[in-house]
Amino acid sequence: MNQAEVSKLVSKLRMNIKPEHRRLKNLKGPEGRIDKLRKTVTGLIKFERIELNINRGDEARQYAERLISEAIRHGDCHKPTMDMANFWLLEKQLVHKLFKVLVPRFENSTVSYTKMIKAPKAQNTEHTNKIVLELRGNPYPDLIVKQPNNRLWIQNVLLDAAKYDYRQSKISEIAANIGKDTQLSSSSLTANNKGGTQKEES
Amino acid sequence: MFPRFIQVVQHLKNLERSILLSLFGHPPKELALAVSVNQQPKPTPKAFSIHDLIGDGFLLAVPKFRRTVEKRLNRKFGWPEYVWKPFVPKTNLKTCHECGHHHEQGRLCGNCYKKIGKETKEIQGEILKKLGSGPIEQDVIVLYEGETLPDQQKEFWKGKRIVEMKKERPQWFSKNLLQKSTQQPSKSTDVKPTDLA
Ligand SMILES: [Zn+2]
Repeated sequence: MNQAEVSKLVSKLRMNIKPEHRRLKNLKGPEGRIDKLRKTVTGLIKFERIELNINRGDEARQYAERLISEAIRHGDCHKPTMDMANFWLLEKQLVHKLFKVLVPRFENSTVSYTKMIKAPKAQNTEHTNKIVLELRGNPYPDLIVKQPNNRLWIQNVLLDAAKYDYRQSKISEIAANIGKDTQLSSSSLTANNKGGTQKEES
Repeated sequence: MFPRFIQVVQHLKNLERSILLSLFGHPPKELALAVSVNQQPKPTPKAFSIHDLIGDGFLLAVPKFRRTVEKRLNRKFGWPEYVWKPFVPKTNLKTCHECGHHHEQGRLCGNCYKKIGKETKEIQGEILKKLGSGPIEQDVIVLYEGETLPDQQKEFWKGKRIVEMKKERPQWFSKNLLQKSTQQPSKSTDVKPTDLA
């Protein structure tokens, strides 16, 4: 085969991609759609955490991932990559950020560069489906806490107190039964011994 | 259904009659039956008026036809695939491990997200103020008041920009109830206060 390997031409995104693109309604058609996505990608690189509707967020995420992976792959001396960064980042100070901040941050990462988390739904609404889109390694407080601290909930405090009470009562019960146990076992031993002797006699 | 159908048929009949009469007029008198009747003076008919019927009262809009059972039930309960009106218990609710509020499975907790979102916006504003409009070439580290850099090698801190927040790190859930909280106590006088420490 006189064909280049596809994996060497395009870097694989580390996220699931829908077989069909999501529809973003726009008066200007495809051009307006791309404009919208450019704004979103710029915002994501600038603020590192933004809240969006799911359609727009998911579409923009793919472009942001691709942009960062291309930047890591080719560096800032590669003309097409530079053009791509110029196109997608509307504020030119962010081109510097992409190559000097994000590339070192994500160079050795083995997971996706962005994270998409579903935001809480407002009560009694059907159609709004918001998400939070963020870059990994951002300086903000974590949205998902891996080691939850729920020991201080009032129900857990009460349960702990109840457990402590129960254990104390059990221990005191056992302590009271220690003497009786030895008496019982000794009496049963003697009874067994008597039986044995009777058998031997017969 | 059936009374409605009869009404439609009656309307059609009336329409046909009025069209035929207007096109061809009445049938010729020669075809009529010849009947000898004692001519008596006809009483002049009084013009009918709705006021004779109701007098001082008034009429309400009332249903003309019966609604079927199926229609009535659909109006009452909706249709499960489209709009199902009775309340259905949600089975995808979970308790947040951090604050204990309820949230939908697979989504962030609303209470925690509100706090974190507020803090995130503050930090974003602070970072934007610090970095300005020049080219961004350094990563950012956020430090709160009274905090020092964690123990790391010097190379780790090289080329990083430190953004200082002018307040203590928010401690949303204090470990000890006697410990001082960094959240401001609520000043609202509502019956159900929000944003408590
Ligand atoms: Zn929570």
